[in-house]
Parts: sequence; C-alpha cells; structure tokens
Amino acid sequence: MSGVRQLPAYILGAAAVLALVFADQLNSYWMHVAIIAMYYGILASSWSLLAGSVGLFSLSHMAFAAIGAYTSALLIKWFGIPIPLGMVAGVVMCCVVGGLIGWVCLRMSGPYLAIFTLGFSEIVRITIATEDDVTAGMAGLHTDPLIAGAATRLPYFYTAFALLALSLLVMGLLVRSRWGLFLRAIREDEQAAAASGVAVARFRILAFAIASGFAGLAGGFYAHYIPIITPSMGDLNEMAKLVVMTVIGGMERLPTAVGGAIVVEFLLEELRDYGQWRLPLFGIILLLTMRFARNGLLTPIWLRFVRLGEAPGGAPPGIGEEKGSEA
Amino acid sequence: MNWDYFFVQFANGAVIGVIYAMIAVGVTLIFSILKIVNFAHGDLYMLGGYCAYYVIELLGFPPLAAMFVSMVALFVLAIMLERLMLTPLYSDTTERKDEYGLIVTFGLAYFLRNIAVIAFGPFPLKPPSFIPGVLRIDNLILTNDRLVAAGVGIALMAGLLYFMRRTIWGQALDAVSQSRDSASIVGINPRRFNSFAFGIGAALAAAAGALVAPIFSLAPDMGVLPNIHAYVIVILGGMGSVTGSIIAGVMLGEAENLFTAYFPDPTRAFAYSNAFGLVILMLFLVFRPQGLFGRRHLRME
Repeated sequence: MSGVRQLPAYILGAAAVLALVFADQLNSYWMHVAIIAMYYGILASSWSLLAGSVGLFSLSHMAFAAIGAYTSALLIKWFGIPIPLGMVAGVVMCCVVGGLIGWVCLRMSGPYLAIFTLGFSEIVRITIATEDDVTAGMAGLHTDPLIAGAATRLPYFYTAFALLALSLLVMGLLVRSRWGLFLRAIREDEQAAAASGVAVARFRILAFAIASGFAGLAGGFYAHYIPIITPSMGDLNEMAKLVVMTVIGGMERLPTAVGGAIVVEFLLEELRDYGQWRLPLFGIILLLTMRFARNGLLTPIWLRFVRLGEAPGGAPPGIGEEKGSEA
Repeated sequence: MNWDYFFVQFANGAVIGVIYAMIAVGVTLIFSILKIVNFAHGDLYMLGGYCAYYVIELLGFPPLAAMFVSMVALFVLAIMLERLMLTPLYSDTTERKDEYGLIVTFGLAYFLRNIAVIAFGPFPLKPPSFIPGVLRIDNLILTNDRLVAAGVGIALMAGLLYFMRRTIWGQALDAVSQSRDSASIVGINPRRFNSFAFGIGAALAAAAGALVAPIFSLAPDMGVLPNIHAYVIVILGGMGSVTGSIIAGVMLGEAENLFTAYFPDPTRAFAYSNAFGLVILMLFLVFRPQGLFGRRHLRME
C-alpha cells in the first residue's frame, strides 16, 4: 500500500533524473531559458511561502533578490572572497533584512503590508540605481561567473536545479511541519491563531526571514550566472512578473508556484513572435485566474497527480504527515 | 538665499501637489468604500491622459472639454472594470478578500500598462496646451498650463467635497464608508456605491492625467510614480480621509519639490526625492498608521 501511495514521489524523482540526464540535449538557448525558469522557480516558491501560506502579500520579494545579488557581487569585488561564500553572505543579508522588515511590519496586514513593502522595494531600487559609484547604477555591475571557464551552460543548469531542489526540500519540510501549520493558521485568522497559542509575531518574522533568504539565494545565483546585474532586476515589473507566475500556477502550494514560474517563463520565450502582446496576455490570464480559478491553473492537475496510486475515496495525502517537529 | 528660486519651486510644488492630491483622493475614496487599495489607480490616471489626448487630436475638442470627456469615459470604464473584476469582494463566499483585491488590482495595473504600450506606443506624446504662454510676476515665471492644472484641480476637489458633504448621494457614500451594514439598514444599496466610488476615483484620476499631459507629456508608465505618491499621501492624510488626502497631497508636492531643489547633490536629487516620500510613507506606517488626520473607524488591517 505505502509503495503505491509513494507513486507520485517516484514519478517526480524519475522525471528529475531524466531531466538531469538529458539536459545536455537542450540547445544553449533553451537551456538558458530553463535556468532562468528555475531562478524564477526559487523566487515563486519562496514568495508563495510568504504570500500563499502565511498571507503576507509582500511586494519586495524581487528587491530581496536584488539585495542578495548586489551583496554577493560587491563583497566579492571588494574583498575577493570565494563566490559561494559571497552567495551565502547574500542569503544571510536577506534573512537579516527580511527579518527586520517582518518585524517592522508586524502590525500591518493586507493592503498596508503591500504598500509598505512596495515602498521598501522602490527605495532599494532607487538607492542601487543612484549610488552609481558603488553599484555602477543603471549601467550594470559586472560580476564574476560562478563556474569559471564553463564551456557550456550545463554546469549552471545543474547548479540551478540543485538550488531549486534544495529550496523546495527545505520549504516543503517547513510547510509540512508543525510550523507550517502555524503559518497557515496565521493566514486564516491571526487573532484565532494567537489565541490558540501560536507565537504570531515570531512566525511572521521567521516567514519573512526565510522567504527573503531564498529570494537572496536566487538573486545570488542570478548575479553569478548573468555576468551583469542592473537595478531593474528588483523593480516592480519583475515583481509583477513574479506575481503573474505564482498566481497562475497556484500560490498556495510550492510545486504549483514553481510550475507556474516554469510554464510562464517557457511560454514567454515560446511566444516571442507575439512581441509586446505577451505581457498583456499574461495579465489577462492572471485576472481570469483570480476571477474564476483562484487556486491557480496548475493546482487541479497537481492534486490529481498527488492522488495517483491512492485507493479511491481514501484520505488525501498530507493529513497524516503533520506530526512534525517541536515548535 | 535666492527667493525667486524658492518661490518658483514653491509654486511648482503646489501644482504638483494638487495633481497628486487628485489621484490620492481617488485611492482613499475607493479604500473607504471597497476596502481595497487600488494598485491600478496610476494606470487609470495614465488612461485618462491618453483619452483626453485622443479626444483633442482626433475629435478636435478644446483641451478642457476633452478633460471632461475623458472623465466621463474613465468613470464608465472604471464601473465596467469594477463590475467585471471586483464583484467577488462583496460575496460572502470569497475568502481572504484583501488578497483578492490586491492581486486583481495589481494584475489590472500590469495589464493596462502593457496594453498601453501597444495601443499608444512607447514614445511620449504631448497634447496642446490649455492656454499657451506663461504668467510673469517680476521674476516669478509659471506656465499657464500649470496654473490651469492647479485651478481646475482645486475646483474639482472642492466640487467633490461639496458633493460629499452637502448632497444626499455624497452623504450616502460617507455612510457606506462608515458602516456598510448600517447603511443598508437605512436603505442605501452599498453595491451601487461600490461602483460609484470606483468610478468617481477613476474620473478624478483621469482629470489629473488630462491636466498633467501638456506639462509632462504622456507615457505608458507615467502612472507608476504618481501611484506610489498617492499611497504616500493616503497614508499621510489617513486612509479614508478625503480632506486629509488633499492637504497631505499639497504637503508632499511641496516637500518633494523643495527637497529636490535644495538637495546638496543635484545629480541625485530627483531620484532621492521619490525615495524621500517613501521613507515618510514607511515611517508613518510604522509609527502613526492612522496618518496626520486619520479617521479612527477605518480598520488598520
């Protein structure tokens, strides 16, 4: 029985192995698209942790990616530290700043939080763009490649894949743990959660710190994949793109958020012939998704997939798995 | 100190402040009735500007008449958008309405901005002036367009205040903003006022867009910054307070213009003038979320 219940996990594992083995069949262009899609996948999943699971609709997620990218790039430029260490520094920086933001806006929710984070995001972008003697401003900051002398993009593909898998693993464990239950309780009703003994303040700060840390990780990877970073990687258009991806996929589950990022990124490339029309098209899809299928377009597919191999009428998976760790 | 420079900057700040206030009043009105922050408000402002431009260019209307046409057009468009997209906000079966309102208006903004690039082109357009020429008092020089923008803006906002204080519809609007349930008990249909508030907000934004067009010209992304400024103003003036928004709008216009004018490093002054407003926004959200003159009955969350 349990072997059959694990069927979706085996299928996912097999798909991952196939993707890794046959990745070198992709031409350079589509491999680049896949890498960028995985970059957005990390961002979309961490944003869905924040906005979907905890209900903190933050608009500064891309700003955290920019903070991670610039922190890493600048530390490497100034002190010559190894690149992985720079990326770790970016993640730590984002965790700290994200935790601070989470702490400062503890009492805000809904629209106020969105406006506050929008303000923060714009301040970050303006500062990076204006302090051009430090950050090279809009001209863009040149960064060192993560894998020096890589002949193809394949090593980057593997790195992005590993980072995405790591992020999903950590966040997936978090969401499934007792803490994840607390986070969802905060989303549903903060006061009721507090009354039931959830340390609302601590978990809101924690969620902000963790989600921002993963945004910083994505940003750090991006900085050392694309040899030049500009402040616009953290602007509101990028944020809107992230919202489009996550909501179309389904913002309440990590896999659907990642799926949304990958599908939208590939479609944006595939539909390049339509030029400017792609963006309003995805705007319309976002609006229709919100209006008629709020759980996201990939959620029904995912739920059906997860229930593969389950006895008809059986309990949905996940319910028995919330034993979890100590809070 | 150069007083001429100061007065020119002061006058410019007042004009910009009036324009900001017109946008912010719409945001605050929509918030007080629909309980959502309209992220697409700056894009309605942009559409209003373009609408007036095409009414002038294609139909040959005088600029001021075109502004009124644009207001009516955006009033109707906004009501259509509200009916199409925002009705789930009033349904009891919709969960987490804040989230719905945020994402839908954010998506609407994304859609409108990108469709505007296609429809109007990425290049700035400039409609003819309301009244060409400049006003000159000693060394104080102001273009007539700026005077018209400020004058018409003040008149429209005075009209709105009169409407909200002295007419039965305006009082009904205020009643809905204070309590939807009580308003419906005394026979006001809150749903009608949802559309109405959204329409009025959009019409004011459209007027602001039309008034600004001859001064700064039109571009598809022209709504982004004023939208953010509108949030600063709305937080300063207190969410839901129309008078507060008007006062805070003029204050922000002044503060930013004088900040730009007197910031020690002129190359960075403009960029940081925007950040300056945002710092005010964040400080107020943390320390005084009800704003300078906030109405306490509006919930914080």
